Amino acid sequence: MRGTLIFSGSSCPALTAQLCENLGTRPGNAELSQFSNGETSVRILTSIREKDVFIVQSGSPKVNDTIMELLIMISACKGGSANKITAVLPYFPYSRQSKKKSQRGAITARMLANLLIMAGVKHVITVDLHASQMQGFFKCPVDNLHAEPLIARWIRHNVPNWREAVVVSKNAGGTKRVTSLADALKLNFGMVTTEKKRGNMCSSVIISPYDSFQRQPALETFTQNQTAPAPKDEQEQADQQVDDPPPATTMPIRSRVRANTQGSPQRTVGLGIRAPDQIRSDDRSITPTQQRNGPDGAEDSEYDDGRAHEVTQGRLIRGHIVDDDFPSPSTSTADGSVREDSDPMTMSHASSFFAPAPAPHALGGSGDASGETDDEEAILKDPKIEHTITLVGDVKRRTVLIVDDMIDKPGSWIAAAETVVKKGRAKKVYCIATHGVFGGDCLEQMQNCECIDTIVVTNSFPIREEQVKNITKLVILDLSFLLAEAIRRNHYGESISPLYQHIVD
Amino acid sequence: MSREMANEIKLLSGSSHPDLSAQVAGRLGIEIARTVSLNYSNQETSVTIGESVRDEDVYILQSAATGDVNEGLMEMLIMIHACKTASARRITAVIPCFPYARQDKKDRSRAPISARLIANMIQTAGANHIITMDLHASQIQGFFSVPCDNLYAEPSVLRWIRENRNVEQVVIVSPDAGGAKRATSIADRLNASFALIHKERPRPNVVGRMVLIGEVRDKVAILVDDMADTCGTLDKAAGLLRDANAKEILAIATHGILSGNAIETINNSSLSALVVTNTVPLGDKVSRCPKLQVIDVSGTLAEAIRRTHNGESVSYLFTHVPV
Repeated sequence: MRGTLIFSGSSCPALTAQLCENLGTRPGNAELSQFSNGETSVRILTSIREKDVFIVQSGSPKVNDTIMELLIMISACKGGSANKITAVLPYFPYSRQSKKKSQRGAITARMLANLLIMAGVKHVITVDLHASQMQGFFKCPVDNLHAEPLIARWIRHNVPNWREAVVVSKNAGGTKRVTSLADALKLNFGMVTTEKKRGNMCSSVIISPYDSFQRQPALETFTQNQTAPAPKDEQEQADQQVDDPPPATTMPIRSRVRANTQGSPQRTVGLGIRAPDQIRSDDRSITPTQQRNGPDGAEDSEYDDGRAHEVTQGRLIRGHIVDDDFPSPSTSTADGSVREDSDPMTMSHASSFFAPAPAPHALGGSGDASGETDDEEAILKDPKIEHTITLVGDVKRRTVLIVDDMIDKPGSWIAAAETVVKKGRAKKVYCIATHGVFGGDCLEQMQNCECIDTIVVTNSFPIREEQVKNITKLVILDLSFLLAEAIRRNHYGESISPLYQHIVD
Repeated sequence: MSREMANEIKLLSGSSHPDLSAQVAGRLGIEIARTVSLNYSNQETSVTIGESVRDEDVYILQSAATGDVNEGLMEMLIMIHACKTASARRITAVIPCFPYARQDKKDRSRAPISARLIANMIQTAGANHIITMDLHASQIQGFFSVPCDNLYAEPSVLRWIRENRNVEQVVIVSPDAGGAKRATSIADRLNASFALIHKERPRPNVVGRMVLIGEVRDKVAILVDDMADTCGTLDKAAGLLRDANAKEILAIATHGILSGNAIETINNSSLSALVVTNTVPLGDKVSRCPKLQVIDVSGTLAEAIRRTHNGESVSYLFTHVPV
C-alpha cells in the first residue's frame, strides 16, 4: 500500500509480521530498546513524512513498558511529521479498568484513551473491547473489531456436533457476548453465576435477566431434600469425574446440611455411620450418578416451578466444586470472619480496607456486572468464603462452549467448567475467549483441569512459546487477516462493516 | 466539618519511594494518605485511594526506582487520575527526579521528545501543578502548561560541601560543557575556583575522549553534575583529575540513578566519594558502595509542599536549605 508504514511495538512482532505479509508489505524499521535506567528509547529509522502510520502494539507481561513504548512511538511519528497515526491495539490494555469501580478508583482506560489522543493518535483499531462503551472515551474514531466471526467459523469447522452444543457464559456480565455468538450459530445458551454464600443469610439465585425465569429463593432449594428426577448417563459421568472428592463413606461422622427456619444451611451431625447408598435406597429414589455429585443427600436441585427445571446449583470452595457435605468454611471458622458485605462506609476504615486479601470492592464493582471478572477471581480463592454456583440452562450430554472476552485468571473458568461437567453433566467443555492474557500459571491450571477439553483464544495478546510448551489443550486462532483487512480498508476508505458479518462456509 | 478541616494537605505516596515520602510526611507533621496499589496478574496497575480526597489539596509523591521507570510513571498517572475523578481540589505531582528528562530535544531525525510527552501525560491525567527538582534542562518547565516548580538541590549541596570539606581547597569541576553553568553557580557561591572537562560523546551512555581545562593540582576536586547514571563519565573524569594531580576527587550529583554497573564503576574509580541526594530510591546501593553518601532533600520538598499549599513564595528555597 503506497504511503503507509506499519510499525510493530516490541510486544507483538510476530503478529505484525503476519499482518504485513497479508498486506504484501514489511514492517517499518524502528529500533526499540531501553536505557540502562529503565527509560524506553525509540528510534524510527525510516522516513515517515506525510505517511499514514500504523503502530501495532498489544499487551504484554510488562504492560506499562508496552504502553510507554507505544506512546513514545506515536509521539516520535507525530514529531516526524506523519500524516495520520493509527494505533492498532489487538488487546487494549487496562480495558478492565473502564469504570469507577469503587470510591476514588481511577478510570484508567479513560486515562489511557486521553494519553493516546494526546500523544497524537488520529484513529484506533482494536478487537473486542471489554466494554464497547470505551469507544466513547476517545475523541477520535475507534474501530472495535469482533473476533466472533472468526471464532464462530472455527467452531463450525472444528467442534464435532457443534449444532448440539450449548454456549455458556461464566458470569452474568458476559451474557450479551454469549447470546450474540449463540445467535450467530443458532445454538442454545446457558449461564453460570457465582455468588458468595454468607453466614446467616439465604443465598438467592438471581436469574432476573431472563424473562423466562423467575427469581427463585434458595429457601426452597434447601428446605426439602428431594431429587429432581432426571435420566442419567452413568458411563459418561464416570469418565468425566475422575477427580471427585472421596465419597462420604470414608467419613467417620456423617453430617448433613439442613435448613433452619431462615433457609440457611446448618450443619447437623448424624448419629450413625451409614453409607450413602443406604440412605439413598432408604429415603429417596436416587441414581448412582447423583450419589457422586451429592453423596450426603442435600441435593443441589429441587423445584416446584416447571420453568426453573434447568437451574442447577453447586457449592464452590477455594474455586472448586465440592460435595454438598464438604464442611462449610464459614461455619467452621470460630471467629466467623465472613467478609463484610460491601457497605460503602467500610471503605474508609483502614482495617477492612487493608485486609490481607484485596477486598472485593477494592477491585470490582457490585452493581454493574460487566466487570465482575476481577473481584470474582479475587474472592474465589478465599478459603473462608463459600460460593453458590448456579448453572442456568440444560447442558446434559452436550458440548459446552464457555465464552468470555478474555482468559486471565483460571479460577472462574475452572469453576464454570466443573459446574457444567459435575453438576450439569456436560460431555465436553471448550473455553473460548478472544484475548488469551493467561496471567500467572493460568495455562497450567487450565491444562490440569480435567473438566476442560480445549482452550481457544486468538493471538491478540502475545503468547510466548515457553508458555505453551506443555499445553496440549490450547488452540490459537490467527487475527492477522482481520487486522490486515481493517488496515487495508481504512487506508483505502472502504467500509469495514463486512468484517463484522458471519460468512457461512 | 469546620472550615479549617477542609482543604488540607493530603500527601499520597507512590510505591516506588516510601522512605522519602515518609520523611516528607514527617517534616510536614502529617500522615501519608492510605492508598492501595497492586498489580493484576497481567501486570496492569490498579490504584485505590483509601480515604476521601474531596476538595483537598493533594500531593502525589513518586520517584521511580531505577529500572522501573515506566511502572512508577503509570502508577503515578493512575493515582493522579484517581484523585481527579475523586474530586480533589488541586493535584500536585511531586516528582523529585523527572523521568525521561534527557530525551528533551529532537537531536536526530524522528527522535521523540519524550520529556514533552511525559509532561503532557501528567497534565492529561489531571495534575494541576508540578514540583520537581534539578531538571536536566530547565526548558522542560516550558513543556507544561500548568505551573512547574523546579527546586534546586544546590543549597543542600553547598551546605554539604561547607560542612564536610575545606572550602579554601575546593575546586569545582564540571564533567561536561553542558553542566558548566551548574558548576560555576556552585563555585561562585563557594568562592571556589572552577575547572571544566570537555568530552566527546559518540553515542548515549558512551564516553569518548576527554580534555581538562583548568587547574586542580593539590586541590580537592569536586565533580558536579545533575545525575549520576552509569557513572562512565564520572569514572573517566576522575581518572583525568587524578592524572592532573588532584589531592582528592569526589563527585556530587543530585539524582543518583546509578544504573547498570554504576556501583562497580564507582568502587573501582579514583573517586573518594560519590554524594547523591535521596531523590531516587537507592535500595541496597548504599551498603554495596561504601563511597556513596546521601544528602537528604526531604526538607526542601516538604517546605515546597507547605509553601505551595499556603500560597507562600517558593523562591526562598532556591537559595536556602529549610531548617
